[in-house]
Formats: sequence, structure tokens, C-alpha cells
Amino acid sequence: MDAYLSSYATIGALALVGVVIIGGAFLVNRLLRPRRPNAAAGKRDTYECGLDPVPGGWAQMHIRYYLYAYLYVLFAVEAIFLFPWAVVYLEAGRAVIVEMAIFVGVLALGLLYAWRKRALTWQ
Amino acid sequence: MVKLPPMDYAAIMPLLILFGAACLGVLIEAFVPRRARNITQLLFSLAAVIAAMVFVVKRAGNVTAANAITAGGAITIDKAALFLQGSLLVLAFVSLLIFGERTLEQGGAFVAQAAVTVGSEKDKEQAAKSLGSTEVYPLALFSLAGMLLFVAANDLLTMFVALEVFSLPLYLLCALARRKRLLSQEAALKYFLLGAYASAFFLFGVALVYGYAKAVDFASIHTAAAVGAGNITLLITGLGLLAIGLLFKVAAAPFHVWTPDVYQGAPTPVTAFMAACTKAAAFGGLIRVLYVGFDGLGWQFTPVLGAIAALTVMVGAVLAVTQTDLKRLLAYSSVANAGYLLIGVLAGGQLGLQSVLFYLVAYGLTVIAAFALITLVRDADGEATHLSRWAGLGARSPLFAGIFTFLLLAFAGIPLTSGFMAKLSVFGAAVDGGQTWLVIFGVISSIILAFPYLRVVVMMWLSEPGESTPSVSLPGVLTSTALGVGTIATLVLGVAPGLLLDLADKAAAFIR
Amino acid sequence: MSAVQTGEIITFFILAPLAVIGALGMVLARNAVHSALWLILTMLSLGVFYIVQAGPFIGMVQIIVYTGAIMMLFLFVLMLVGRDASDSVIETLRGQKVVGTLLGVGLAGLMATGIYQATRDYTVVGLEAANKDGNVQGLAKLIFTNYVFAFEVTSALLITAAVGAMILAHQEKSGVKAVGQVAKMRERFLPGNYPGPKPGPGVFATSNSVATPAKLPDGNPSQRSISPILPTRELTAAEKADKPTLTGGA
Repeated sequence: MDAYLSSYATIGALALVGVVIIGGAFLVNRLLRPRRPNAAAGKRDTYECGLDPVPGGWAQMHIRYYLYAYLYVLFAVEAIFLFPWAVVYLEAGRAVIVEMAIFVGVLALGLLYAWRKRALTWQ
Repeated sequence: MVKLPPMDYAAIMPLLILFGAACLGVLIEAFVPRRARNITQLLFSLAAVIAAMVFVVKRAGNVTAANAITAGGAITIDKAALFLQGSLLVLAFVSLLIFGERTLEQGGAFVAQAAVTVGSEKDKEQAAKSLGSTEVYPLALFSLAGMLLFVAANDLLTMFVALEVFSLPLYLLCALARRKRLLSQEAALKYFLLGAYASAFFLFGVALVYGYAKAVDFASIHTAAAVGAGNITLLITGLGLLAIGLLFKVAAAPFHVWTPDVYQGAPTPVTAFMAACTKAAAFGGLIRVLYVGFDGLGWQFTPVLGAIAALTVMVGAVLAVTQTDLKRLLAYSSVANAGYLLIGVLAGGQLGLQSVLFYLVAYGLTVIAAFALITLVRDADGEATHLSRWAGLGARSPLFAGIFTFLLLAFAGIPLTSGFMAKLSVFGAAVDGGQTWLVIFGVISSIILAFPYLRVVVMMWLSEPGESTPSVSLPGVLTSTALGVGTIATLVLGVAPGLLLDLADKAAAFIR
Repeated sequence: MSAVQTGEIITFFILAPLAVIGALGMVLARNAVHSALWLILTMLSLGVFYIVQAGPFIGMVQIIVYTGAIMMLFLFVLMLVGRDASDSVIETLRGQKVVGTLLGVGLAGLMATGIYQATRDYTVVGLEAANKDGNVQGLAKLIFTNYVFAFEVTSALLITAAVGAMILAHQEKSGVKAVGQVAKMRERFLPGNYPGPKPGPGVFATSNSVATPAKLPDGNPSQRSISPILPTRELTAAEKADKPTLTGGA
């Protein structure tokens, strides 16, 4: 059990290094940058065109993006099932390969449907 | 070593057919031209249901204790499961007919593109002249397949997956009404959120039961409970949480709050499908959990479920009295009926199970006919479901008003209708099983519930038709068939219930 | 094997408070994006718990699927409904929040004490047997044997979700026929249609924004000059003022 936990120590150390690198980069950035950037009045206004920047910057996103996010989640879940399958299919033989083929086939059907409905081409 | 468990393909054929047909339905949706889709999908789904029915019937003769459990112990096709599967298929067949109706309204009861913003230019355009969406058929088939698996699941994990498989398409179907789309979308969202919440309770219950029994299959749970190893609190808490998930699906009080909104908002064919099939599937699952897995805990869950049953029958009946919308009225009536069914479940024994099985079929057929009739009474804005609009309908269309009166009398449990026989058998079984106090509640509730039904009857026949009384559209072949089957079944099961009662009696046996 | 290791205890007592803080932060945060970030903290902590309890596969699934995919879905929804959108504080049922909170806390307390009482004397068994050939292999053995039917049926669930997402979120383009130049011209000169070009925004106006309506020669704003999809906003006095060319110099 101790061996099991300590095998994650490397990952922990790596994560720590990652935090230090990214945090350090930000810190260095802050130390080196000029204190008072030139921010003259009207510098960032739109010129001769476009909307005056009056309200917040948020604009409602189109629902079609959600579809992509959703399809991505579906295939992420599929990938999760592929992982345990990948470690056993060699020893398990044909039956398990067929099982996974059915599973992936049914999901591919969903993709086929999406393709035929032209959800995958940008309009 | 990973080795595929032996599969009894003859036993699970109905499931395979339905899942396969649903997948093919998605393919049809992708490749068949739009104009031909509705008829193709309808005929294909009906054929799939009939094919599944054939295999259910073929299997009915040779169920033994030895061959019932299959698929590595995940599925039990015993007699009760077969009976429930058969009745689900019949009920779904009849509801699918209403799904396919296109003569009442161009494009049918379903919206063509649910993604179009409600009230936009495009929405007005598609309301006027578009073919309805036909994804509803594969969705209904997926749901039906999930229900068939749900009543046959032999472990809690398979049951949970089946629960999700039959619920998810229903959430979607609820959002697809052609008229009153905002109401429909609201219904779908409410149903989805509350349904997901209830599923979470179910899953939590599975985890606790696993903690007690160290397994999720019903036989192991039964054995563990019988041996009494470990702390029983875990088992009882687990059962409680499982029951919450299941009681939500059967719409028992206090887990019924979604019912009126969803029944009202959903497209009426979907409401009919839900009212008949979801109820049958959920009760099928409930009796399997209670009588196969947890029968050793009978004296612990009976008082609690009894209180819920008593509450359900009263809440359903009392709130039905105050309703002014027919679909909501039938929704509360369905809550009350869930209560009567729970009384039958608690009656226990052969008689109790038999009465529940009979009740599910009888009620399902009547309720499908009632909703089929609601689709007929319409004005320019679609179905006119407000109660006041039905005043004077008897003078406008005596035939349909007569049929609806008959169906309402069946709901009220008047002799010579299936409703009477169903209630009689349930209450009889409960008295036999020593649950007389529940029967008293049941009878009081039935008396209260008769009032709103009779009010509708009186309104239809004794009021003069006003200007706002909508016309009754002439149904097409499909709705007429559904209506006819439902009505005749209500009559036949009321006059000669013997055949179905015998069948239910033979089927009232679980195999552990 | 059932004994709890020191490393496990330390991890637990660091991450458990973080998980609870994350959950509380998620419920209490005003900004929906902050809520989502708090939730990520909770989910990551849970993922580490699973790994520490010798379930590396489920831990990784928790991190990949939940903190990755599902949280991304959450953020998409937030972008759909708006970062600034907040819940309505009006209660449709009076006292709903109070009663809801009380019932929720009550249920949580009941469950917590119940499960604590029930599992206090339990000893952990079977972990070694389950992970004998490796955690993932053990899972695979269950998924592809006894629960193979549930596994296959899960694909039905996923395809239902895909079809559902398509139905609810995808608009099919109806085959719009190409309109010829003659037809377009006829349509343009139909009675009730204004054949001329629309006035450009800001022609007579004092602001150069497209949201400011053009001024007609009589000084009135021309609604035709604003695109209907632009949000209307209050104009300042300076923007409303007439151009000097309109008032005749000065």
C-alpha cells in the first residue's frame, strides 16, 4: 500500500514543479513589466465604426456550440470504456472484441446521424 | 480470465429486437427522405413491437427456474417479467398509434424543429406548415426497451442503467409538443431535473445496499438480509433511498409534484405513453425490488410504504377535485391510481401481485383511450383541455362524449368497467393481506375522486354548448384504433376479466 | 491491508476541508463562473480521494470526465445563459428556501449519522482480491462478463443523448432555393416595400456609433437606420443634439 501511494509521489512532485514554473513566470512578468502603461483617455474607444463599448463584454453564445461540447462529452465517455477494454482484449478473445464493436458501432450511429443532419458542417 | 457469460438469446430476444429497432430507427431518420419518414418509422416501430411480442409469447410456455436467469445473472426472464413485458408491449403498441396520427393536425402532435426559438418568425412558419419530427419513434422504442429491461433486471446496477435508458427519451419526448411549446419545454426541464435528482437517490441507495450485502444482485441481497450479517441500518437506509427513486417514477406522494406539470405540458400522445407504460414499468421494478430482493424486510417497509400509499390516494383525490384542466385532472387521477396500486403491492402474496398486474393493464388501456380522446377535442390553438371548454360537448358529439363518459366511469370504478374489477381485486387482496386500514383510505379516496369525474360528465351532458365549445375532430384510423382498443378493453375487462386475471395469476411468481 | 496508511490520512485531512470549501463556495458564490471553478476544486479533491483509496481508474475518470468534459459543458451553459444572469430571489412558495435548507440539512445529518453508525464496525475486505490483477483489469473483468448487458445498454443511453442533443440544439437548414435576380428585383419593388437603400447610421447624427439612429432632415431619428438585432440604449444629450448643418450653422 505504501508502495502504491509513493508511486504517486512523482506525479505530486511534477505537479509542484508545474505550479512553481507557471507561478514563477507570472511573478517574473509582474516584476519586469513597466509600472504605468500608457493609458490615455479614449485610447481604446472604437473609431468611426462599431458599437460604443457601453455595457459588459458578454454576448450570448449560439446554442450550436453546445452541440459540439455535448458530442465531445459523449465520446469522452466512450473513451473511458475503451481503456479497460484495451488491457484485456488480447487475452479475452473474440467475444470481447465483438462486444466493444457493438458499443462503438451504436455510438458511431449517433455520429452518422449527426453527419446526415449536417450538424458537423459549419453553416 | 475474461469470458463472456452464456446468453439465452431466446429469452432476451424482445430486448435485442427493440434496441436494434431503435438504432435502426435512428438510421432511418438519417437516410429516408423526409416525406416518407413518418409512415416508415411508424410501420417499422409497430413491426418491432409485434416482433418482440411474438418472442415474449413464444417464451411464455417454457419458463423454468433453471432457465430464467441469464446474461451473467443480470437479467431474469421469469413469468412476472414476461407478463409485464407483454403488457408493456401492448400498451406501447396502442400509444404508438396515437404518435403516428397526422390527420388531426398537419404534421401531427410533434414540433418539427425543437431548436427553433419559441415565438420567432421561423417558429410561426413551422407551426403552420411543417412535418413533425419523427425522432419520436426511435426515442419511444429506446424508452420501451429500457422499460422491458427494467422489469427484468436481476441486479440493481442493471436496473439503474435501465431506469436511465427509459427515462432519458421520455424527458426528450416531453419537450416536443407542437403547440404551447414553452409549457412543453418547461415540463421537460422539470421532469429532467427532478428525475435526475431521484436517480441520484436510487444510486445512493444502491451504494448503501452494496455496502451491506457486498453484492448488487437480488438473490445475494435476499440471502444477506436473511442471514442478518452486519448492521441492518445500512440495508434499511439503502432500501429507503431506492424506494425514493422508484416512488418518484410511479408518482406516489410526496414524490408526485412533477406529475401534473409534465402530464399537462407533454404532447398528449407522450402523456398517454407515460401514464400507461412508465407506471407499469416502475411498478414492475418496485415489486421486483420489494419481493425478490427485500422480502425479508417486509415488516419494516410495510408501515412506511403504507403511509405513503394512504397519503398518495388522498393527495391525488383531493387535488384532483380542484383542477380545471383535463390533463392535470387525469394527472392527479394517475397519482391516486399509483396509490391504489401501492395498496395492492403491500397486500403481498400471490393475490396482491396478481391484482397489481391486472390493475396495470386495465388502467393503462383506459388511460391511453382517455388521452386519445383528449387529442380530438380541439380548436384553432390545438387541444382545448380547459374543463369549461368541454361544457356541452354531449350535444356537439354524443358519440365521443359518450365514450369519454364511459372512460371516466371506469376511472371512478363503476361496475361493468375494468376500473371496477381492478379496484375490487386490489382492495380484495389488501383485505386478504391484512391491510384493511389501507382499503379504508382507498375507498374514501375513490369516493372523493368520483366527484371530479362526475363533474366533467355533468358538464358535458347537461350544459348547453356555447360559442367557445370546440368541435370534436374526426379521428384518423390510428387514433380511432387506439381509442377503440382502449374502450373495448375497458368494457371487456369489466365484464369478463377472467382471462386476464387467470393470466396474471399464473404470472404472479418471481424467480430469485 | 485494511489499516489506514499515514499518507492516506494526511492527504485526506488536507483535501477533505478543501472539498467541503469547494462545495460551499459553489453554492454560495454570486458569480456563476466562480461557482463552476469551486466545483472543479471539489471534483479534483474527490478524484484524488479515489486514487488514494486504491481506485486509480475511477479517480482518473473523475478527473478526465467530470473536471474535464462535464465542467466544459457547464461553462458552455454559462456562456449560453450569461455570466451576469443570477437567480431570481422571488420565492414562488413563501418560506421555500428556509424549509428547503432545514430539510436538506436534516436529511444530510440523518444520512451521515446513520451511515456512520452502520459502518463504524466495518472492516475493509476484498480490496486485495479486487485489485489482484491490477485495478483496470479487475474492472474490465466485471464490465465484460457479468455486467456486459448493462454495458451494451449504456451505448443506447449515449446514442439517445446524442439524438436528444441534436433535436434540442440543432436547427436544420431548410433547403432555401437560390433566388434569381429578376425575382429579387420584383420583390424589391413590391408595394409596401421601400426600394431605396437604408439610411446609413449617423448620416445626420452627431455620434459615429451604429447604435445611434440616423437623423432625418426634419430632425427625427430614423428607425430604419438601426439594425433590429442591436440592443437599444439611452442616448446622451450630446448624441441627441442636432448637427450644426441641420440647425443652419452656428
